[in-house]
Amino acid sequence: MRQVPSGAALHARLIWRRNRGQIGLFVLLALLLALYAFLHPGLLSWAGIARFTQNWFPVALVAIAQTLVMLMGGIDLAIGAMVGLGTVLAATLVGESALGAGLGITATVAIGVAAGGLVGTIVALFGLPAIIVTLASSFLIGGAALLVMPRPGGSMPGWLSEGLVGVHPTALLILIVILVAWRVLRATPLGLSIDAAGDNPAGAFRSGVNVALARIAAYAISGGLAAFAGVYVAAQTGAGDPLIGNPLALQSITAAVLGGVGFLGGQGTIRGAVAGSLLLAVLVNVMFFLGLPPVAQYVMQGLIIVAAMGIKRLRERAA
Amino acid sequence: MSGTAPVLAAQGLVKRFFGNPVLNDVSIEIVPGRVHALLGENGAGKSTLVNLLSGVLAPDAGRLLVDRQPCARLTPALARRHGIAVVQQELSLAPHLSVVENVALGAVPTRHGLIDYGRLAVEVGRVLDRLGLDVALDQPVEELPLGKRQLVEIAKALYRQPRVLILDEPTSSLTAHEVQALFKVLAELRRQGTALVYISHRMNEVMHLCDWVTVLKDGTRTADRTMVGIDPPALVRLMVGREPGDLFPPFRSTARGELALEARGLTAPGIQGVDLVVRQGEVLGIGGLLGQGQEELLLALYGALDAQAERLATGGIDRPSRNPADAIGRGLAYVPADRKREAVLLPLSIRFNLTLPGLRRLARRGLRRFAQEAEVARELTTKLNVRGGGPERAVQLLSGGNQQKVALARWLPLSPNVLLLNDPTRGVDVDTKREIYLRLKGMAADGMAVILLSSDALELVHLCDRVLVFRDGRIAADLAHRQASEEAIVAASLGVARQEAA
Repeated sequence: MRQVPSGAALHARLIWRRNRGQIGLFVLLALLLALYAFLHPGLLSWAGIARFTQNWFPVALVAIAQTLVMLMGGIDLAIGAMVGLGTVLAATLVGESALGAGLGITATVAIGVAAGGLVGTIVALFGLPAIIVTLASSFLIGGAALLVMPRPGGSMPGWLSEGLVGVHPTALLILIVILVAWRVLRATPLGLSIDAAGDNPAGAFRSGVNVALARIAAYAISGGLAAFAGVYVAAQTGAGDPLIGNPLALQSITAAVLGGVGFLGGQGTIRGAVAGSLLLAVLVNVMFFLGLPPVAQYVMQGLIIVAAMGIKRLRERAA
Repeated sequence: MSGTAPVLAAQGLVKRFFGNPVLNDVSIEIVPGRVHALLGENGAGKSTLVNLLSGVLAPDAGRLLVDRQPCARLTPALARRHGIAVVQQELSLAPHLSVVENVALGAVPTRHGLIDYGRLAVEVGRVLDRLGLDVALDQPVEELPLGKRQLVEIAKALYRQPRVLILDEPTSSLTAHEVQALFKVLAELRRQGTALVYISHRMNEVMHLCDWVTVLKDGTRTADRTMVGIDPPALVRLMVGREPGDLFPPFRSTARGELALEARGLTAPGIQGVDLVVRQGEVLGIGGLLGQGQEELLLALYGALDAQAERLATGGIDRPSRNPADAIGRGLAYVPADRKREAVLLPLSIRFNLTLPGLRRLARRGLRRFAQEAEVARELTTKLNVRGGGPERAVQLLSGGNQQKVALARWLPLSPNVLLLNDPTRGVDVDTKREIYLRLKGMAADGMAVILLSSDALELVHLCDRVLVFRDGRIAADLAHRQASEEAIVAASLGVARQEAA
């Protein structure tokens, strides 16, 4: 007869198991962070941590957003546009008062959730390929952002910018809150069905999982996170800019891939995606401190992606 | 037992796919506390019946009753609510998730909206113990060997405490020990009053376990009776004996003396130590239940699988083919079962598809010669009677049967020595079948050696000089044309010793 573990013990072991295949990434990340701290001792202060996490934070958010979609076997090309729409909405809707700011942020995120949910519905119910639907929605969302604000403008309340991007690690705190929130969601039937529906959609459906609902939920959460990244970027720049998010679409995919998220769905974790985005951010900084020109940084990023995929494939073959 | 009311019943079920009836007026009663065997050949309609009983498909006629109440529209969700669980052959597990999460998926216990991991550990642990499945609850399913995954699949069905449990070939990848544990659980479930439906091709399991049997043949029910007083050969007789009608040309052997291909000790993933010999002009049939190594044999000969052999001689060379290009060079040609994915290029023209394998031979100094290509295409379309438009039409506009003719005809310009056919008439209409049979015999008469893999035992009976029946990756029987009756082939597939008619 088996030893029956307590619920907490089982839950902890399940969480730990999901680290498999990612330990190497975490070790590499720790080494790079140590190297970065060595090259730039200023990192190890409140101000240093604050500044670094503020640069990294939007990429971490979009990496999580991208991972949710990639876990469903999809890919979201509209994330950059969604961030752009988020900045212009925030710069337009966020009021000077605390209440006005709260309402504006809520409205921006809600619009992101709605847009993501709509895209998810189209993908889930009509069975269209995500790459096509999100390509189309990237134009629609980008167009909407340009309608709201044809050129950079608007404003964010000074106290909000100071709160989010001042010399204190608010960004890091928000990121931890988001990771805890995902942990809680993953411990609900809906969270489990998001993972299962991406892993084996037909099997999950036959097991009684509402696969369509899981897909729509994943896209909706993803849209909300991308919009919130827009709010943060607007706070950083103090204004809305419809085109500012565009590079983030590809960066989110890069970070997710580095974090071990697969293209076929079901493979990867949120923590892996965050680690991937952190790896990207640290790498750029380390190369900067090593005095490499920006061109070398691009080349390096490309090489690292290919190397990451190659190692993964070699390991799968060995297994 | 006859006094117990059926928990699930079907009356006069009819199901057609594209006009072809696959089930015709089939009735069945699933009774609590009884293990009900469902038997039939490949394509007899077993899977379709299971899909109807579990709500995956809707019948074209007939009705389903749950607890004697007619059920207008059974869906998978509704079937689950009625306590009907199916263990499918193809696994429904999420490989990256853990054993507990997979077992409980779709039915997780919750507390305050969160998954109740404490209850999960207890309840799933109990089911795993019952099956004697010694794996950690938190182990990812992808790390388990196939047999254990199969048991997780069964645990998943048991976890829901079903009233009706349908098992489709549950033991195909289990070890003898695991089978024993499973049988103990099934016996216990029977005692507790669960209604069990058991589909298996292992006759000894059926004899050992089952109380009642329904036999399907060609979509109709040929038996529905107790297992008491029936023996395996009698069951086989109930499964065979379809009417061939005038589908097949009269048999005439065109085999000659010269060997076209000889293999000894051929081993590849899925097959072990296979010996075979084909002569010029001979049609060699390959039969057996699905997935017993038949396809792997063809692919190994064709160089598409890594193979070792003591001897593999064809085209004057004695060694396994290195890859398909090498095999083609030695005079082998392969017509795959899934023609749309592996043979023809759907959006391209009939002419292009027909001339593609021989394109190099038709060219001169590296340049294509369109007039010659058109000529060859015209010849081939006439020869194989490809209907559905001129040579410039896209292949996807043709019917399935005519696509198959294109897949076959495109090899002829290379005049192959050995033709490997993988179930060439699957999903093909009757008239085209007849034409393919005639062409196939015609090619053999021209001296080609034909290796015909077929899931239809009748094709093997009526077309082949010899039939090799595969079982577990080995040749289970080597039947000459005279001995190769449908009954003999099915009996050999199932591993039933046949009573020789005195």
